[in-house]
Amino acid sequence: MSSLSLRASKRFKATPPTFTPWVCHACRQRRTFAFTTPFNQQQPPPPQQQQQDDNPTHFGFETISSSLKASRVGAVFSSVASNYDTMNDLMSLGIHRLWKDHFVRSLNPGIRPTSGKEQEGQRILDIAGGTGDIAQRLLDHATTINGDTKTHVTISDINPAMLSEGRKRFAASPYTTADRVDFLEANAETLPTIESNSIDLYTVAFGIRNFTHKDVALREAFRVLKPGGVFACLEFTPHLNNSLLDAVYKRWSFGAIPLIGQVVAGDRESYQYLVESIERFPRQEEFRDMIKEAGFMVPGGGEGEGWEDLSAGIAAVHKGVKPV
Amino acid sequence: MSSPMALRTLLRTPPALRPLLLQTSRAAYHSYDHAEQPVYREAERTILSSALAHVPTHGFTQEALTLGAKDSGYLDVSTNLFRKGTFDLVKYYLVSQRMGLKDRIQFPDENIGVGRKVRGLILERLRANVDTGIVTRWQEALAIMSLADNIPASLRELGALADEMWFLAGDTSVDSSWYTKRASLSGVYAATEIFQTTDQSTEFRDTEQFLDRRLEELRTVGGTVSGGCTGESTAE
Repeated sequence: MSSLSLRASKRFKATPPTFTPWVCHACRQRRTFAFTTPFNQQQPPPPQQQQQDDNPTHFGFETISSSLKASRVGAVFSSVASNYDTMNDLMSLGIHRLWKDHFVRSLNPGIRPTSGKEQEGQRILDIAGGTGDIAQRLLDHATTINGDTKTHVTISDINPAMLSEGRKRFAASPYTTADRVDFLEANAETLPTIESNSIDLYTVAFGIRNFTHKDVALREAFRVLKPGGVFACLEFTPHLNNSLLDAVYKRWSFGAIPLIGQVVAGDRESYQYLVESIERFPRQEEFRDMIKEAGFMVPGGGEGEGWEDLSAGIAAVHKGVKPV
Repeated sequence: MSSPMALRTLLRTPPALRPLLLQTSRAAYHSYDHAEQPVYREAERTILSSALAHVPTHGFTQEALTLGAKDSGYLDVSTNLFRKGTFDLVKYYLVSQRMGLKDRIQFPDENIGVGRKVRGLILERLRANVDTGIVTRWQEALAIMSLADNIPASLRELGALADEMWFLAGDTSVDSSWYTKRASLSGVYAATEIFQTTDQSTEFRDTEQFLDRRLEELRTVGGTVSGGCTGESTAE
């Protein structure tokens, strides 16, 4: 009962912060979104690094210094981590599950029975996979569809709060006892603990738009993948193919999503950032060209599209294969 | 055209239209002057042609595609390069056989009629299905091609094959028969190919007779429609 009333007061922000410690926590996080106070007052980055990396980048609709983006994005996801999967259901009306299912099914992870049983399993790297929902699907597909009991997934996320959600999900899972999943807290732009040419499949679902340097992350993906390895990305697109649907969709994303965030998770700014960051993500053609620039071959041939639109282009699957 | 002339033409063109002249796109017609650009990239060609070798045993399946990838040094997961999976394998077969048709058949005697050449081309294309060993699996490919998503690309490929055959037969018609020729040849070819998948006779003699009956029908219909005046191009 007490938790219920706490939750209700959190929703309406009625309780003064001093009375309940959890509101203090929320406020502390919210303070990082008080955009007038510079975030780096608390943690000033080394001045030299700031000089090197001081190109302006965007954080939603704001323009901020590149060195700040990672910490600001980190604050967003620390704030949303506990509600992340519920919020995804509410914001996408459950459709994100279909997208993720389709994404994993089309990737067909796991060693196929015809390839011989004696082979070792695939090494999959799930970047920005914090809560582990993609990893769960990857392992399920490999095990039940392809009968592969060796394929291993490394869940990597820059954010410890998201990773702890993933640890919770896999705590009682048979995949943990079989040592088929592990966790890595790392920035996808530099993965020093992962050897070059060691990964079969690199997945990133709804993560790459938060990266400060997408091109650097793509090059790092190219480095860690084996020749013939696959880079696969599921991400929102800034514009729908149909302008009428796009107008309706924009109403939903700018009107409803921050509101749902406020009511359910008590955090409007983080969800405002989410929809703004979608708007700032490159269009499908541009992102396809970025993948090509990193050295990948994209599916669909020279004149083909090279990506696959989902739900009239709300999200898109991009893939790239590292040439042998 | 000399290059100073070409440059002058370019400069006389309104700036907005200049990119059109500079563009060196692939010719949408059969050109003797421009080298044909490859439809598939090197990696795709290697994987798909290795995969075709597995079709007689595994059929037009994901397994054949996977084995093809592994044979050419790629990984299981590399088949993600093919967005449509098995249909990409079918289409590669269709495209490569269409492109290869001109090397499979020669007409040393220029005097044989266009109609006989077309008959020879159809038979040669059907023989390719036997030579590659895929004829026993071709019904699977037809099933994949008939999926709603794949129908447009399949029909386009059938049209391209008919076009290729009329071109190789030396047909130069520029009137409305350009369309009727391609349409009727597409129909005849598709029907004969389906017949071939069920043909049990030695050396596919029944298929050959089936084809002759269809061509004979075309001749009759073509002759009747055009009042026996212009029917000779197919009647040869």
